[in-house]
Amino acid sequence: MSTVSLITCRGLQVAYGREMVLRGVDLEVVKGSFLPLVGPNGAGKTTLLMAILGLVKPSAGTVETPFARRPPGYVPQQGVIDPLFPVPASQIVAMGLYPHLGWWKKLGKQDRRAVSGVLAMLGMDGQGSKTFAQLSGGMRQKTLIARALVARPEVLILDEPTAGLDEESQQEIMAHLVAINRQQGCTIVMAHHGESLLADAAPLVCQMEHGRVRLREPSHV
Amino acid sequence: MFSGLSELIGSFPHALAAGLLIGLTCSLLGVFVILQRVVFIGITLSEVAALGIALAMTLHAPPVLGAAVLTLSVVILLALPLEFMRLPRDAILGLIFVVASSLAVLVVAGSGLALHEIKTLLYGDLILTSPTDLAVMVAVLLPVAAVLLIFLRPILYTFLDRKASRVLGIKVLRWELLYFCCLGLAVSAASQAAGALLVFCYLVVPAAAGLLCSRRLGLAMACSALVAILGTLAGLVYSLRADLPANQTIVVAVTILFVLIAATRAVAWLFGRERP
Repeated sequence: MSTVSLITCRGLQVAYGREMVLRGVDLEVVKGSFLPLVGPNGAGKTTLLMAILGLVKPSAGTVETPFARRPPGYVPQQGVIDPLFPVPASQIVAMGLYPHLGWWKKLGKQDRRAVSGVLAMLGMDGQGSKTFAQLSGGMRQKTLIARALVARPEVLILDEPTAGLDEESQQEIMAHLVAINRQQGCTIVMAHHGESLLADAAPLVCQMEHGRVRLREPSHV
Repeated sequence: MFSGLSELIGSFPHALAAGLLIGLTCSLLGVFVILQRVVFIGITLSEVAALGIALAMTLHAPPVLGAAVLTLSVVILLALPLEFMRLPRDAILGLIFVVASSLAVLVVAGSGLALHEIKTLLYGDLILTSPTDLAVMVAVLLPVAAVLLIFLRPILYTFLDRKASRVLGIKVLRWELLYFCCLGLAVSAASQAAGALLVFCYLVVPAAAGLLCSRRLGLAMACSALVAILGTLAGLVYSLRADLPANQTIVVAVTILFVLIAATRAVAWLFGRERP
């Protein structure tokens, strides 16, 4: 495996008002790695992801990423997309191609092929015409993963992608993520609650507690 | 219906054109008003526009200018990050609504206008649309509808998933502001003729009907526009025949269309032909 660092955080601090959420995080994410961020609620997992994505401003420290050159794939937590929106899954996936579309932002034949290809890869053949409201929880999450993958990003960032899903869906999604990491070489950083599914996926996990990080081997639950 | 329509075209061509134009633009904008669950913004902006018109008339300024200045100010205020107030946006809209409604009445009460002028000012009357009013509407509403359709994709993505849009490099603040400025301008241009009630109706009822009709955004917007157009035509023709106030008759006609569509959907659902 290469040892090129894609994401580097140095002394990263993030505060919401007076509350310090990240307290000097030093972290390097190597190209091609699969790094789960684990820890209890309020440990700062989502905030670290938001800082890496550039969605929250650090109060101190630095974050270096290649995202200005190539946007990452991002999978938000469940419930971000309102099922009221009358938008089919294929259009949600096509959103991931937005930075690569021309001035009129119209999808071409190749773009449509990319959308159906990524849906098929995730086992969603024939589901692209369904709206978010018509999909199950697992299918919704796979739609968001497809959106993140459609532009073939170098880095995939996921915020608790299996939260709220049944065990079977959790295992299916984790298997897809492992395959994406190993077969396509996509670097994955993922906030995750438990560790039961991580043992075979990642050699190391990033334990977060009280806004600090520590790398360790995943526990075999 | 057809003889009524030709009579309407002959007698009130400006009212007809204004009604169709306002209905079309507001029904397209209204789909996002409903999807974002900010229905209250429709009536609040209409009341703010009425206050702007009242102030402009007292100051002998063009009414649409007064309406535009006030509604755009409110739109920009609402776009600011107001999280520090620890109040939901609906509460702020409610506050603006009550202040604007009261001030509009107070301003016209102190203006020395006759009662019928005050009623027209506050509730609008499509039948009284003048060629100048129509020209202003064409100049404002057509570009607003065009902007919405041209930039539909980034506006949709902004409202669909704000964080993911930012990650993808979509300037969410810019698109959100563009949409709400379009909404503010449309309400300003429409309010003098249509009044708060009809503008609110056009923003909510056709869009709700459109969303009942289709699970595709484009088709829902097309259905919304169609409901607004049919409701406007039916309302204007019937109001002329029965000598009823035009704006309120259009509201009833649009609502009847909504009820018919909702009933059809309910029947289809009951007989298992559609998922809820």
